[in-house]
Order: sequence, then structure tokens, then C-alpha cells
Amino acid sequence: MFDLFTEGFAMAMRFDTMALMSIGLFAGMLVGSLPGFTTLMAMAILLPISFFMEPIVGIPFLLGIYKGGIFGGSVPAILISMPGTGAAVATSRDGYKLTQQGKSRKALDMALFSSVFGDTASDIFTIMMMFPIAYLVMQFGPPELFAVLLMSLVIIAATSGSNPLKSLIMMMLGLWLSFIGTDPLGGVERFTFGLFDLKSGIPLLPMLIGVFALPEVASVVIRNEKSRKLADLVGERLTRLEFRRCLPTICRSTVIGTGIGIVPGLGQIVAAMMGYTAAKNASKHPETFGEGEIEGVAAAEAANNAVNGPTMVPLLTLGIPGDNVTAILLGAFVAQGLRPGPQLFEEQGATVFAILVAMVIANLLFLVIGYLSIPFFSKIVTIKTSILIPLVIMFAFAGTFVFRSDPTDLLILVAFGVFGIIAKAAKFDVMPMVMGFILGPSMEYAFGQTVAMSNSNLFGFFLTERLGALAVLLVAPVLGYLLWKRLYSSDSIA
Amino acid sequence: MLKSFAKKSMAALAVSGAALAGTMTAAQAEYPEKPITMVIPLGAGGSHDLNARVITSIIPTYLNQAMIVRLTPGAGGQKGTQEVANTPADGYTLLFTHNYIDQLQQHVENLPYEPLEDFVTVARVNYAPIAVTVRADSPYETFADLVAASKENPGGVQMAHSGNWGALFVPAAQMMKALDMSWNLVPYQGGGPALQALLSGDADVTMGFPSSLASHVEAGKVRILATAGAERIYDDVPTFAEVGVEGDVGFMHRVVLAPADTPADVLETLAAAFNELGGDKTFNRMMGRLGENIDIITGDDYDAMRKEQSVAYKDLVDALTSQ
Repeated sequence: MFDLFTEGFAMAMRFDTMALMSIGLFAGMLVGSLPGFTTLMAMAILLPISFFMEPIVGIPFLLGIYKGGIFGGSVPAILISMPGTGAAVATSRDGYKLTQQGKSRKALDMALFSSVFGDTASDIFTIMMMFPIAYLVMQFGPPELFAVLLMSLVIIAATSGSNPLKSLIMMMLGLWLSFIGTDPLGGVERFTFGLFDLKSGIPLLPMLIGVFALPEVASVVIRNEKSRKLADLVGERLTRLEFRRCLPTICRSTVIGTGIGIVPGLGQIVAAMMGYTAAKNASKHPETFGEGEIEGVAAAEAANNAVNGPTMVPLLTLGIPGDNVTAILLGAFVAQGLRPGPQLFEEQGATVFAILVAMVIANLLFLVIGYLSIPFFSKIVTIKTSILIPLVIMFAFAGTFVFRSDPTDLLILVAFGVFGIIAKAAKFDVMPMVMGFILGPSMEYAFGQTVAMSNSNLFGFFLTERLGALAVLLVAPVLGYLLWKRLYSSDSIA
Repeated sequence: MLKSFAKKSMAALAVSGAALAGTMTAAQAEYPEKPITMVIPLGAGGSHDLNARVITSIIPTYLNQAMIVRLTPGAGGQKGTQEVANTPADGYTLLFTHNYIDQLQQHVENLPYEPLEDFVTVARVNYAPIAVTVRADSPYETFADLVAASKENPGGVQMAHSGNWGALFVPAAQMMKALDMSWNLVPYQGGGPALQALLSGDADVTMGFPSSLASHVEAGKVRILATAGAERIYDDVPTFAEVGVEGDVGFMHRVVLAPADTPADVLETLAAAFNELGGDKTFNRMMGRLGENIDIITGDDYDAMRKEQSVAYKDLVDALTSQ
């Protein structure tokens, strides 16, 4: 095992591997920072190039695009409150507040450092614990996924707003919105009112941009600020002291993110929310979260990047990809003649390790690339609002449209923008709605599978075969209540 | 060998560059002037996904454009199919589907599209016989063991499939009918997750194609109990015909379709590219690694087969649902 690792380590230490990985990281970061262009699209388009490189060059190149893209996604989330993916939603909460306070550079630095830290730690953990992780992955079936998703939603509803009743209402609304379209199990149309455009459901991107970015645009316009700038300053870089203050949070989020990465089907969005919630709960001043707390950025970014290591495990040990990104990597593997499956490790152990080592190296390279790029990105907020706001609006509409070139999406964008402005005025937090909308379909599918597995004897099935999932289901409401009480006890109303 | 690789990599680079540029500008040129999207109405990691990754990696050589895979799983394949049915018929959005989604579903429910009227064939790429699979440590040593256990305890055997009326569900239903037994059919989001459910012990039996199963068989993780058709694929594994499941059961045709109004010259360009693809050495080698055959049938020839399938599946569904 160890000699395979050293062999793999030597394989990864090549100049062309690092050079192409750097190109991938930079390209990924640029693409990821444009709302509407997803990392996945960039990977799919550039996939054929990797086919004609050696495995240990082509696959790290794709990994570079992926990792650069994740960070790229948090740039607009922090600077203009425009999260392009669900994973950046939690980051934008405190990140954009920091930008408004003139601390955008600190926020971006923190996002970079905590991303790199979370990712690197989870990659190293994955290298050391690959087979235990592979075993754990197998313990999660549909009933467990359903239980964990339900618990995540309860925790989000209990902790995200000042009023858990309002949060619950918004979450239910999000779940209902996710029902619109074709039922994933039975193929029946729901709540489409015969409208063809609603048959494949409401797309996520217009909702994200609509409820997060457009209300901020509106408030800048309405306030008609004299400063005429989103922020006067980009502010100082992050200090060592601030990083050290956040280190416990980053470590906690890394553990949470790695754990969530092991459960198939959860992913970065849940990780970011759970990391953020845990940090808020552990903080002595939870009321600062959501008001520009740099710890919030650190918590979300470390957690969503820590997912990356374990999600590689089912692909490397079974040949079964856990998400769309690993599915693209699977394609690269196959075309390289690396046949993913239980024998990949026996046949190509050194290459597998080389790829994992390359993931760690990609993180370290990105530390440099990101650090050098941040000053340019953060300058965006010092553009006069009379120029910046039209630009943001253009990005919102263009980003929505390029996603799948459907004009209906623009109407949906405007509708959610109006909804977001009203919700903000009425002090309803849109976060639980978005989370309900994103996680609802996965939870529904897992529930349908569970019902089928149980031969429609759900209670007996949980009781006799799925005690772990049952325990999670029973603990969820209690945990939600305790979290709510702790965070919103009378002396600390957020 | 190396030379051809270098050449192809240059071509791929050029194509990808053009792909990125193509999304920005709208230059007037011959089809295809921008990347082509191939929608797969199925989930990640199944055999369609693997096949498509190979196809899209080689076909740019013959189309001078990138082909991008988009996975749109949902509603047993209807979501992705419907999406393509409603895109402009300009040859820039194709559907990579199979005969069950294409021709069987219309007899089961009301579809938002008419398969034979809304789609035409670009090319049938290959076909795959399905295999009944259990874990290596399963108590079912032979297909007969499995049948006996299923009859003894109706609904007690959990069968993981890739979605209602999909590629694993249909042969399972046909088998249950032919042998008068009953399984508990549990849906998963594609063949990959169904296989994972078998490996993790959530399911007792599943089905799969050689491309997804080969490495698991070699690793001693799963055992194949029977394979589709009348000719043996593995020397020591009986065929469906031998175990009493007769007829056209368990063959999946992987086929690329386009919206029906696609201009004839566009279809010709595509069909020509697929025919050239079929003769490409790299393509053959890669598909061989996956354990897949290649048998390209383009345009009208496969469209005729689709009409026959439609009739056959109607009879099947009538028989299955009238009991």
C-alpha cells in the first residue's frame, strides 16, 4: 500500500501535470465566477481535450477546473450577492454584508484560505481512509438519505431566521415549489396548471439570482446612496490573527463537510449550510452571523470544499459516480483506459494515488493563483454604482439565459426578484425556501424508494431493518427544538 | 499510434476552442457551427452515460464540433425526452435514448410527445443483452434458486431497477409474468445506483449490462445467473430462453434520435458522422474496453424497427396490465 502511494506521489510530481492543472484552476475560477456558466459546463466542454493527454495529466486538468470553479462561484456571491450555485448560498449571507462594510478583500481571502484548508484536509483524510470510507458509503441507502435530508431541513428551518415559524412557512413554500413539474417517481404532472413551461419544473438558477441578487440591487437603487459606490474600500487583506480566530470553525466545518461527503446524495449545499449552522451554534455571539461575520464565510467555504475528497471514493473504489462532476471524471477515466470498478485499485493503484495526490497539489497551487487574483476581483465593488448596478442586472439576466437558453427563465427570474423584494420587506428569510426547494426532490425520491423497499409497510420496515434511519428521524425534531431554543433565547434575539 | 493521438488531441483542442468561441459569436456557416448537445434522459454512471462519454470523445473528429452530454434524468426518461421533443429541430439538440423509453412508454401512459411522430432516428449505435445479477455471497447459486425463492415468498425478493418501465424494469416484469413469480421492484435513479444497492445489500437482485458489470464480475463481487437472448454469452451461464423466458426479452438498443422536423441535410451529416464513427479504430477499442458491441444502423432502417417495436410492446403492455 505505502509503496503504491510513493509510486503515485512520484507520478504526480511532473511539470506538465502542474502546468495544466494551473491552467485548469485559472480557467475554472474565471468560468465559475460568471453566473450562469457552471463548472460542470466548463468540464464537459473541455473533457475531450483530456482524452488525449496521459491520465495523470488529463484528469488533474479536469480536477483543476472543478476546484477553481467552486471558488469562482463564491466570488459573485460575496461581491454582488449573486450565488451561481446552491453551494455558494451560505457564503453570500455574510460575504455580501462584509462587502457592504468595505471588507470584501478580507471575505474573499477567508473564502480562499478556508476552501483550500477544508479541501486539503479532506483529500488527505480520503487518501488515508479510502477503504473505510468505501465501506461507510455502502451503509447509506434511500431510508438513511431520506432521514438525513429531513434532519438537515429541520436544522435549517430552526436556525436560519429570527422567527422559526416564518422559516418553516418559507421552507414549506420551497418544498411546494419543488413539487411543480413532473413527479420524479410516477411521472404525473403536478401544479403545472397545464402550462407547458412548468412541466420540467422551476429551474434553480433564476430562483437563486432572483431572490438573492435582485433585492440587493433594488435596495441600492432605492437608497440612492450619496457615496455612489457599493463600498468605498476593498479593505485590508485578511490578518493572521483573524485566520487564527476562525481556525476552530474551519476545522469543525472540515469535519462536517467530510462526513457529509461520505453520504451519497447530500453534497456541497447541505455541507455549507450545516457547517454554517454549526459555527453559529457554537459561537458566543450568534447574533453577528448574517450581519457580516467573517467566521460565517469560513464555516460555509471550508465545509462545502471538504466534501470533495470523499465524493471521489465511490468512483475510485466501485466505478459508480456520486454526482455529475464525478460522472464526467468517470468518462475521462474510461477514455484513458482506466476501467473504474472494484479492480481499478488493484490494477492501477499507483495512478489512483497519483490522482489523489494531484488533488492536494491542486489545492496548494490554487492558494497562490487565488491569492494573486483576489485583488483584481475585489476591485469590482469600487466601481460607481451608476455603472455597477446596470452591470449586475445584465449579469443576472444574461447568466439566467445562457444556462439553458429558455426565455421563460427570464420571467421566472423577475418573478423571484419581486418575491425576494417583498419577502425582504416583510422580514421573511428566503434561505429556508431555497433550501427546501433544492433538497425537496432528493428527499421525495428517497422517500418513494423507501416506501417501495418496505413493501408499503413503512413502520415495520424502519423498526426491523433500518434502526439507524429511524433514530435520525426521531432525533431530528428534538435537535431542531434545542437548536432553536439555544440560538433564540430571550437574551440574544437576532 | 502516437502520431494519430497527437493529431487527435490537436483536433480536440481546436474543436473545444471553437466550441467556446462558438457560444459567443453567431457566424454563418454550415451545420454544425456550434457544439451539439446530446441529452441523456437517464442518470449518471449508467451504461448510457459511459457509452455517451466514448461517443462524444470521438465524434468531434468527424463533425468538427464538440458534442456535449447533458444528463436529464426524471420520470423514467420522459423528462429528458420531452425536453428534446420541444427544442428547435436544428440538429443542435439530440436525444440518446433506448427502445423502452422510446417505444414502450407510450403504451403505458399519456406522454407529452408522440415518439413516432416527434422523433426520427439519427443512428442506432449498439444493442446490449441484459444479465440477471446477484451478489457473489447471495444464497441464490443458480437462476432456478432465485425462481424457487421468489415463488415461495412472493414480493420477498427485492429487485433494484433503474426506473418504472425502464431498461431493467421491463425485462423483470416480463420475467415475472413468464415464470409466474413476483419480486418487489424498487426504483433507483439509474443503473449505477441500482448496482450500488445490490452491492450494499439493499437489493437481492438487479440486472445490468456487460459494460457496467464486467469489472464487478472479474473482481468476484457479483454473480450472473442468466443472460438475454438464445445464445450464451458466458459459457457457464444459461440464457433467458434456457430458463423459460422466451421471445424478445431483455435487449436494449441504444439509439440517437433527433426532433422530427430536423432538416434532411443535417440528418445526413449526422448519419455520415455516425457511420464513420462505427469504423473508427479508437472508438472500437474504447467500446471494446467497455464490453460493448458496435452495430450502427442509421435513419430509415432503424425507424422501421421502431414501428415494429411499438406494435410488439403494445401487445406486451396489454398482456401485463390486463391480468
